[in-house]
Amino acid sequence: MSGTGEKGSATTKTPGDFLKAIRGRPVVVKLNSGVDYRATTKTPGDFLKAIRGRPVVVKLNSGVDYRGILACLDGYMNIAMEQTEEYVNGQLKNKYGDAFIRGNNVLYISTSKRTLADGA
Amino acid sequence: MASEEDSAVKEPLDLIRLSLDERIYVKLRSERELRGKLHAYDQHLNMILGDVEEIVTTVEIDDETYEEIVRTTRRTVPFLFVRGDGVILVSPPLRTT
Repeated sequence: MSGTGEKGSATTKTPGDFLKAIRGRPVVVKLNSGVDYRATTKTPGDFLKAIRGRPVVVKLNSGVDYRGILACLDGYMNIAMEQTEEYVNGQLKNKYGDAFIRGNNVLYISTSKRTLADGA
Repeated sequence: MASEEDSAVKEPLDLIRLSLDERIYVKLRSERELRGKLHAYDQHLNMILGDVEEIVTTVEIDDETYEEIVRTTRRTVPFLFVRGDGVILVSPPLRTT
Protein backbone atom coordinates (compact mmCIF):
# COMPACT_ATOMS: atom_id res chain seq x y z
CA MET A 1 0.00 0.00 0.00
CA SER A 2 2.98 2.34 0.26
CA GLY A 3 2.46 3.88 -3.13
CA THR A 4 5.68 5.85 -2.91
CA GLY A 5 7.62 3.15 -4.65
CA GLU A 6 10.61 5.14 -5.87
CA LYS A 7 13.41 3.08 -7.20
CA GLY A 8 16.25 2.55 -4.82
CA SER A 9 14.45 4.10 -1.88
CA ALA A 10 14.13 0.74 -0.16
CA THR A 11 13.80 1.22 3.57
CA THR A 12 14.79 -2.35 4.39
CA LYS A 13 18.32 -2.41 5.68
CA THR A 14 18.66 -5.72 7.43
CA PRO A 15 16.88 -9.04 7.08
CA GLY A 16 15.04 -8.19 10.31
CA ASP A 17 13.80 -4.89 8.81
CA PHE A 18 12.58 -6.78 5.83
CA LEU A 19 10.58 -9.17 8.00
CA LYS A 20 9.02 -6.25 9.87
CA ALA A 21 8.25 -4.48 6.63
CA ILE A 22 6.32 -7.35 5.10
CA ARG A 23 3.93 -7.81 8.00
CA GLY A 24 0.41 -7.62 6.69
CA ARG A 25 1.58 -7.97 3.08
CA PRO A 26 0.86 -10.87 0.77
CA VAL A 27 3.81 -13.24 0.70
CA VAL A 28 4.88 -16.54 -0.75
CA VAL A 29 6.78 -18.92 1.51
CA LYS A 30 8.57 -21.65 -0.40
CA LEU A 31 9.60 -24.75 1.48
CA ASN A 32 12.56 -26.99 0.70
CA SER A 33 10.01 -29.53 -0.39
CA GLY A 34 8.95 -27.14 -3.15
CA VAL A 35 5.56 -26.52 -1.57
CA ASP A 36 4.40 -22.89 -1.71
CA TYR A 37 2.31 -21.22 0.96
CA ARG A 38 0.66 -17.99 -0.17
CA ALA A 39 -1.07 -15.83 2.42
CA THR A 40 -0.98 -12.55 4.21
CA THR A 41 1.51 -12.45 7.06
CA LYS A 42 0.00 -12.12 10.48
CA THR A 43 0.74 -13.22 13.97
CA PRO A 44 -1.83 -15.32 15.81
CA GLY A 45 -2.56 -12.26 17.94
CA ASP A 46 -3.30 -10.19 14.84
CA PHE A 47 -5.70 -12.85 13.71
CA LEU A 48 -7.47 -12.92 17.05
CA LYS A 49 -7.83 -9.13 17.06
CA ALA A 50 -9.10 -9.13 13.53
CA ILE A 51 -11.85 -11.70 13.94
CA ARG A 52 -13.88 -10.03 16.68
CA GLY A 53 -17.41 -9.50 15.54
CA ARG A 54 -16.99 -11.96 12.70
CA PRO A 55 -18.77 -15.27 12.18
CA VAL A 56 -16.51 -18.06 13.40
CA VAL A 57 -16.36 -21.78 13.91
CA VAL A 58 -14.83 -22.88 17.19
CA LYS A 59 -13.85 -26.53 17.32
CA LEU A 60 -13.31 -28.14 20.70
CA ASN A 61 -11.02 -31.02 21.52
CA SER A 62 -14.10 -33.18 21.84
CA GLY A 63 -14.87 -32.55 18.17
CA VAL A 64 -17.94 -30.44 18.87
CA ASP A 65 -18.25 -27.31 16.70
CA TYR A 66 -19.69 -23.99 17.77
CA ARG A 67 -20.74 -21.55 15.10
CA GLY A 68 -21.64 -17.99 15.89
CA ILE A 69 -20.44 -14.42 16.12
CA LEU A 70 -17.25 -13.98 18.11
CA ALA A 71 -17.95 -11.34 20.75
CA CYS A 72 -14.55 -11.38 22.44
CA LEU A 73 -11.80 -13.59 23.73
CA ASP A 74 -8.96 -13.43 26.23
CA GLY A 75 -5.45 -14.79 26.70
CA TYR A 76 -6.71 -18.15 27.90
CA MET A 77 -8.67 -18.40 24.69
CA ASN A 78 -11.85 -18.20 26.70
CA ILE A 79 -14.43 -17.16 24.14
CA ALA A 80 -17.67 -15.25 24.27
CA MET A 81 -19.94 -15.90 21.31
CA GLU A 82 -23.34 -14.69 20.22
CA GLN A 83 -26.06 -16.50 18.30
CA THR A 84 -24.20 -19.72 18.91
CA GLU A 85 -25.13 -23.02 17.32
CA GLU A 86 -23.73 -26.29 18.61
CA TYR A 87 -22.94 -28.98 16.06
CA VAL A 88 -22.15 -32.56 17.04
CA ASN A 89 -21.09 -34.77 14.15
CA GLY A 90 -22.23 -32.03 11.80
CA GLN A 91 -25.74 -32.02 13.24
CA LEU A 92 -27.23 -28.98 14.92
CA LYS A 93 -27.87 -29.95 18.54
CA ASN A 94 -28.41 -26.72 20.41
CA LYS A 95 -28.61 -22.97 20.15
CA TYR A 96 -27.49 -20.43 22.70
CA GLY A 97 -28.09 -16.69 22.60
CA ASP A 98 -24.79 -16.04 24.30
CA ALA A 99 -22.18 -18.61 25.15
CA PHE A 100 -18.97 -18.62 27.12
CA ILE A 101 -16.52 -21.34 26.10
CA ARG A 102 -13.72 -22.18 28.50
CA GLY A 103 -10.44 -21.80 26.65
CA ASN A 104 -8.86 -25.10 27.61
CA ASN A 105 -11.40 -26.95 25.47
CA VAL A 106 -10.61 -25.01 22.29
CA LEU A 107 -8.85 -26.83 19.46
CA TYR A 108 -9.13 -24.05 16.90
CA ILE A 109 -10.99 -20.93 15.88
CA SER A 110 -11.71 -20.41 12.25
CA THR A 111 -13.56 -17.71 10.38
CA SER A 112 -16.63 -18.81 8.53
CA LYS A 113 -18.48 -17.27 5.65
CA ARG A 114 -21.73 -18.71 6.86
CA THR A 115 -24.54 -16.23 6.94
CA LEU A 116 -26.09 -16.57 10.34
CA ALA A 117 -28.93 -18.92 11.04
CA ASP A 118 -30.85 -17.90 7.99
CA GLY A 119 -33.38 -20.50 8.90
CA ALA A 120 -36.14 -18.28 7.57
CA MET B 1 -29.24 -7.50 18.87
CA ALA B 2 -26.35 -5.37 20.02
CA SER B 3 -27.97 -4.21 23.19
CA GLU B 4 -26.32 -1.92 25.69
CA GLU B 5 -25.55 -4.89 27.84
CA ASP B 6 -23.54 -6.48 25.04
CA SER B 7 -21.33 -3.43 24.86
CA ALA B 8 -20.41 -4.09 28.48
CA VAL B 9 -18.79 -7.37 27.41
CA LYS B 10 -15.11 -6.50 27.07
CA GLU B 11 -13.73 -9.88 27.98
CA PRO B 12 -15.38 -13.28 27.98
CA LEU B 13 -15.72 -13.44 31.75
CA ASP B 14 -17.94 -10.35 31.62
CA LEU B 15 -20.55 -12.60 30.13
CA ILE B 16 -20.47 -14.64 33.33
CA ARG B 17 -20.47 -11.53 35.51
CA LEU B 18 -23.62 -10.31 33.82
CA SER B 19 -25.25 -13.63 34.68
CA LEU B 20 -24.76 -13.40 38.44
CA ASP B 21 -27.98 -14.18 40.29
CA GLU B 22 -29.50 -15.49 37.07
CA ARG B 23 -30.22 -19.04 36.10
CA ILE B 24 -27.54 -20.30 33.75
CA TYR B 25 -26.85 -23.37 31.69
CA VAL B 26 -23.51 -25.09 32.18
CA LYS B 27 -22.16 -27.83 29.95
CA LEU B 28 -19.60 -30.03 31.67
CA ARG B 29 -17.27 -32.80 30.64
CA SER B 30 -18.53 -36.37 30.60
CA GLU B 31 -21.92 -35.40 29.20
CA ARG B 32 -23.17 -33.51 32.21
CA GLU B 33 -25.36 -30.45 32.10
CA LEU B 34 -26.42 -28.15 34.89
CA ARG B 35 -29.07 -25.50 35.18
CA GLY B 36 -29.07 -23.35 38.24
CA LYS B 37 -28.80 -19.92 39.74
CA LEU B 38 -25.28 -18.51 39.65
CA HIS B 39 -24.35 -17.24 43.09
CA ALA B 40 -20.61 -16.84 42.64
CA TYR B 41 -17.76 -17.67 40.29
CA ASP B 42 -14.05 -17.04 39.87
CA GLN B 43 -11.53 -16.84 37.07
CA HIS B 44 -11.21 -20.63 36.92
CA LEU B 45 -14.97 -20.88 36.39
CA ASN B 46 -15.35 -22.50 39.78
CA MET B 47 -18.97 -21.75 40.49
CA ILE B 48 -21.52 -21.83 43.26
CA LEU B 49 -24.90 -22.76 41.88
CA GLY B 50 -28.22 -22.90 43.67
CA ASP B 51 -31.37 -24.91 42.92
CA VAL B 52 -29.47 -26.98 40.41
CA GLU B 53 -30.86 -29.52 38.02
CA GLU B 54 -28.17 -31.92 36.84
CA ILE B 55 -28.72 -33.92 33.67
CA VAL B 56 -26.37 -36.79 32.94
CA THR B 57 -26.57 -38.33 29.48
CA THR B 58 -25.23 -41.80 28.86
CA VAL B 59 -25.08 -43.55 25.53
CA GLU B 60 -24.92 -47.32 25.46
CA ILE B 61 -24.61 -49.51 22.40
CA ASP B 62 -26.93 -52.47 22.31
CA ASP B 63 -24.81 -55.61 21.95
CA GLU B 64 -27.09 -57.22 19.41
CA THR B 65 -28.67 -54.48 17.37
CA TYR B 66 -25.81 -51.98 17.79
CA GLU B 67 -28.43 -49.34 18.38
CA GLU B 68 -27.48 -46.41 20.51
CA ILE B 69 -29.49 -46.20 23.67
CA VAL B 70 -29.48 -42.70 25.09
CA ARG B 71 -30.38 -42.39 28.75
CA THR B 72 -30.70 -39.21 30.73
CA THR B 73 -30.61 -39.13 34.48
CA ARG B 74 -31.82 -36.06 36.31
CA ARG B 75 -31.42 -34.98 39.86
CA THR B 76 -31.81 -31.75 41.71
CA VAL B 77 -29.30 -30.37 44.16
CA PRO B 78 -30.02 -27.38 46.40
CA PHE B 79 -26.46 -26.11 46.40
CA LEU B 80 -23.49 -27.09 44.29
CA PHE B 81 -19.84 -26.11 44.09
CA VAL B 82 -18.60 -26.79 40.57
CA ARG B 83 -14.89 -27.10 39.94
CA GLY B 84 -13.96 -24.95 36.96
CA ASP B 85 -11.82 -27.41 35.08
CA GLY B 86 -14.84 -29.51 34.20
CA VAL B 87 -16.63 -26.63 32.51
CA ILE B 88 -16.94 -26.60 28.73
CA LEU B 89 -19.58 -23.94 28.11
CA VAL B 90 -21.66 -21.50 30.09
CA SER B 91 -24.73 -19.85 28.66
CA PRO B 92 -26.70 -17.13 30.37
CA PRO B 93 -30.47 -17.11 30.17
CA LEU B 94 -31.85 -15.85 26.90
CA ARG B 95 -32.06 -12.11 27.11
CA THR B 96 -35.13 -10.39 25.81
CA THR B 97 -34.30 -9.57 22.23
